[in-house]
Amino acid sequence: MSTHIKILKQVLQKYSSPMTLNYPSGVDKNRMYSQIPEGLRGFIERDEEKCIGCRACYMVCSGRATKIFDTAEKRTVQVFHFRCTYCAHCEECCPEEAIKMSKKFELAVTDKNDPKAYVNTDLKMLSCKACNRPYLPEKMQKRVFERLSEKIDAKVKGIVVEDYHKTEGFCPDCKRARGVMLDTHTKKHVWLEVV
Amino acid sequence: MKFKSDPTLVDFVRTEVAPEGLSFKPLHENRVAVRIKAEDADKLAERFISKFKARLIHETAVDLEGEGFDMIYIYDFSKVRERLVVVLEAQISKDDPSPPSVAKITWQASWAEREIHDLLGISPKGTPDPRKQFLPYEWPNAAESGTAPPRPDKGPSGPQDRWIPLGIMPNDAYATLIPIGPYHPGVIEGQTVYVKVEGETVVSADIKTGFHHRGIQKLIERRGYHKGVFAAERVCGICSAAHGLTYVTACENLYEAEVPDRALYIRTLLLELNRVHSHLLWIGVVADVIGWKTGFHLSWGLRERVMDIIESITGNRVNYGIWRIGGMSRDVSHELAERALPTVKALKAEMAQLLPEVAAHSVVKSRLVGVGPLSYADAFDGGAVGPVARASNWKIDVRADNPPHAMYDPKVISWEVITDEGCDTFGRTLVRVKELLVSSDIIMQCLAHLAKTTGEVRIEPKVIPVNSEGIGLNEAPRGELVHYVRASEFNMNLPQAYRIRTPSYRNNALIPKMLVGSSLADVPVVMGSTDQCLACTDRFEVIRESGGPSHSMSWAELVALGKRRGV
Amino acid sequence: MADLAFTIVSIALIIPISLFLGVIYAFLLRKLNARFQWRVGPVVRMYSDLAPVIGSTRVWQPMYDILKLFGKDTLIPASAHKRLFTWSPYFSLFFSFAAVLFIPFPGMPLLSDTPYSLIVASYLLIASILFTILGPVASGSPWGAIGARREVELFLVAELGFVASLFLVAFMKGSLVIAELSGTVGSIPMVLVTLLAGITMFAAMLGKLHIKPFDMPEAECEIVAGPYTEYSGKLLGTYFLAKIFVLYSMVALFIAVFLPPVSSSVLWLPLYVVAALALVFLLAVVQVLNPRYAIRKALAWYMKIVVPLVIIGFIAAFALRMVA
Repeated sequence: MSTHIKILKQVLQKYSSPMTLNYPSGVDKNRMYSQIPEGLRGFIERDEEKCIGCRACYMVCSGRATKIFDTAEKRTVQVFHFRCTYCAHCEECCPEEAIKMSKKFELAVTDKNDPKAYVNTDLKMLSCKACNRPYLPEKMQKRVFERLSEKIDAKVKGIVVEDYHKTEGFCPDCKRARGVMLDTHTKKHVWLEVV
Repeated sequence: MKFKSDPTLVDFVRTEVAPEGLSFKPLHENRVAVRIKAEDADKLAERFISKFKARLIHETAVDLEGEGFDMIYIYDFSKVRERLVVVLEAQISKDDPSPPSVAKITWQASWAEREIHDLLGISPKGTPDPRKQFLPYEWPNAAESGTAPPRPDKGPSGPQDRWIPLGIMPNDAYATLIPIGPYHPGVIEGQTVYVKVEGETVVSADIKTGFHHRGIQKLIERRGYHKGVFAAERVCGICSAAHGLTYVTACENLYEAEVPDRALYIRTLLLELNRVHSHLLWIGVVADVIGWKTGFHLSWGLRERVMDIIESITGNRVNYGIWRIGGMSRDVSHELAERALPTVKALKAEMAQLLPEVAAHSVVKSRLVGVGPLSYADAFDGGAVGPVARASNWKIDVRADNPPHAMYDPKVISWEVITDEGCDTFGRTLVRVKELLVSSDIIMQCLAHLAKTTGEVRIEPKVIPVNSEGIGLNEAPRGELVHYVRASEFNMNLPQAYRIRTPSYRNNALIPKMLVGSSLADVPVVMGSTDQCLACTDRFEVIRESGGPSHSMSWAELVALGKRRGV
Repeated sequence: MADLAFTIVSIALIIPISLFLGVIYAFLLRKLNARFQWRVGPVVRMYSDLAPVIGSTRVWQPMYDILKLFGKDTLIPASAHKRLFTWSPYFSLFFSFAAVLFIPFPGMPLLSDTPYSLIVASYLLIASILFTILGPVASGSPWGAIGARREVELFLVAELGFVASLFLVAFMKGSLVIAELSGTVGSIPMVLVTLLAGITMFAAMLGKLHIKPFDMPEAECEIVAGPYTEYSGKLLGTYFLAKIFVLYSMVALFIAVFLPPVSSSVLWLPLYVVAALALVFLLAVVQVLNPRYAIRKALAWYMKIVVPLVIIGFIAAFALRMVA
């Protein structure tokens, strides 16, 4: 009996203050919501200005949720949130810090093709001048060049920049094929030294 | 911190433990891999268990494609030499895959042998229990018959002729076979416990699992080391931290790992938080099973506070996702640690007040005392792990014997291993209640340390050497958990084999033994007392994205289906 | 004639009143259960943004559950004895409603002044429970069989306390008519013996209403839904409706026999409501505090607690009869 009385005391204490909190679905000011912490790993949000389409997020995605679709005009980087494991690998590895995990988490939809579940980022795609195949997004090419020119040694910077401008607009295969013709192949410096 | 290994252990194994071995390879951190001939497996098993009192941790096999199978037997020698684990490897050919059975020597290997028969087709000679583990018992061996299982005959002539498992035949009326599951409100996950009752007393019982098999081992083998941790986490929702930590421990065991101290403290913190939430959940489940929903809500209300802390630290309540090989991906800020410390202190005070009252309740005691007995001898032979073993007065705890890559050094964090002599459900309850208080102490010590110090939390892993093997051992809330990984010869990113053995595997195999002689009302209580996690036992879920016609039901169709059938 | 007309009108009135009160008691049991368990339960005043969608209150939730069941498919197992299986819920409902008619309500004696109404009321309640045993046995399912078996065992001991306490008061006051029992209060010793019998009756009510710790026939964790496992759709709805009438009848019978003057005239109506709510509150408190006993422990508990109380009560009643 005494254990019953102790539990009764516990139970009467809890009468007027329920542990359950209300879920917000309107503007009733009596509703509360348990705190959403700062570091919640919610939906992926990609900054369209910063993304360069380098496919790093696609390579490290653990749930195979990030997919790349290439057409002649554009590259679409798509995150499908139903397959996302919210592991934050893409947030860690993005070189431009374009990916952030937001605090949104409400994903219930009645139709799998609902656009709420997809995050699409479109980037303009460059096509090769010679063979007409799409090979790189425009922003990626510019950004790679920027990063390269920041870090390159001043002694060879002139040659590298000049070679870059000569091969601008060719896909890697066509660039390789025209290496001797445009004098951008890598062995030219070795020959120079030998000679 | 670098994890040291003792170089003299190889000689110890070579001379005293397994002199018949063909080659001896030391692995990192006091593991030794011994290659033996396949026929010696049972002789060595006999010697290990009777002479050295070692425990069989797991028995599994790796598919070597052209060259056959590699049988792997993992034994725990930590009571003999500190942290020693001996891995026996034996190669068998694919034409005749039948090594000698270890299950006939010790019951600990029974389910392991059933599993390798189901998954890989190896049938050990002389195994006492050759039934299927994951497939239904009636499933014919497709390789032999080449056909699908037979359909039931058409057209029953009466209720007695049709195969209805729920209809009672007249001559069975005295010993009814009751299937508890696969769907049953008293069990949380899918399993079937077949119970033969006379009146209200259980005469015999059997447990069948396999409803949750998802193929996670295969999934990890295809994703690779860095992505596989998220699949390993999702083996179980309740003990997900234990699986995450064991995975990174196993992968760090492959190379000479160095993990920053601060990361070790965070790992201990998360593992103990997980243990607290799992034990509170378990108390609620047992209260629900004996019919006391109030106890369920009171303990789960306390659990919510733990989940709030976990969510603030990791960003998610269930799948923490911050485990990385070589450390953690997030740090615990000083402000967060200082905010969490008084919450944990208040929680510990509330638990210390509420839980003894719950355990002393007269009706609760009448339902739990004397139910599901498991003597020390039975626990030792059957290979019980975790609180089930500790409640039978067997002092094993992986955190003390074979610590994972987290901070459990008794000189740094003071804690103790809890045992109880009850040997029944009430003993297991007391063990878990006391473990809750010990875990709260560990959490407070870790938080106090994290609030005062700074440091890095991640060191990028080195290249994983080919042909190395790693074993990760951990104390999940339910018992001893082991992950075994073997690195591939050709591919640096994908392992060749990944094997998981969860604690529920061992404890579920003991349920039929515990049930005999109890009454029907005690069956769910006994099942709950082993703290079953069927998701851990089965480990499988594959979502196939392409292939096959599929029809997605719209919301209106689903609602209509719920109201009337056939609309 | 006027009497007959009044009786017919009051029988017509008691249908909605008993349903209304029964639903309120069932709702209160759920709400108090929830509040004691640290959660909210069915809300009495709905939030303003959801009110247009769901309704302004959830007090009639037990009724909504029954109406929902009436809208679902009824599945009859192939191994069931069809006639007994499908007719049992209706018989159960009929008998439990008939028992309502023999228990007085303040201002409406209904049929409670017919001779031997006490015996008739208890038999009708027994018959109602009998059909919650026969129907599941006819369903051919082991869950139903085990649930029915537990129901029979529990019913036998709970019935002992139930009948013994009723006849204790009847013996003491010398009448088997409920209207007379609820009309006369008697001397102070009689009131004390009535109180003792009331405690015995409360213990018996726990068993008859399946209040924890005595709800093992419906133990969902062990035997799915016990007797109600194979029932669905309108048959299950009928069983739940019968349960609501049984809840109302038990509370009304308790107040009529053990709190004597309250059921007799319409002036006592506020006190009747208060007493009923207090009784339901006590039932909810007992339900929240206890897990479920195993069936053998339940039988032992009843033997240990109820039988001595009954024996003491009968000795006291006999002594009072001797004196008076």
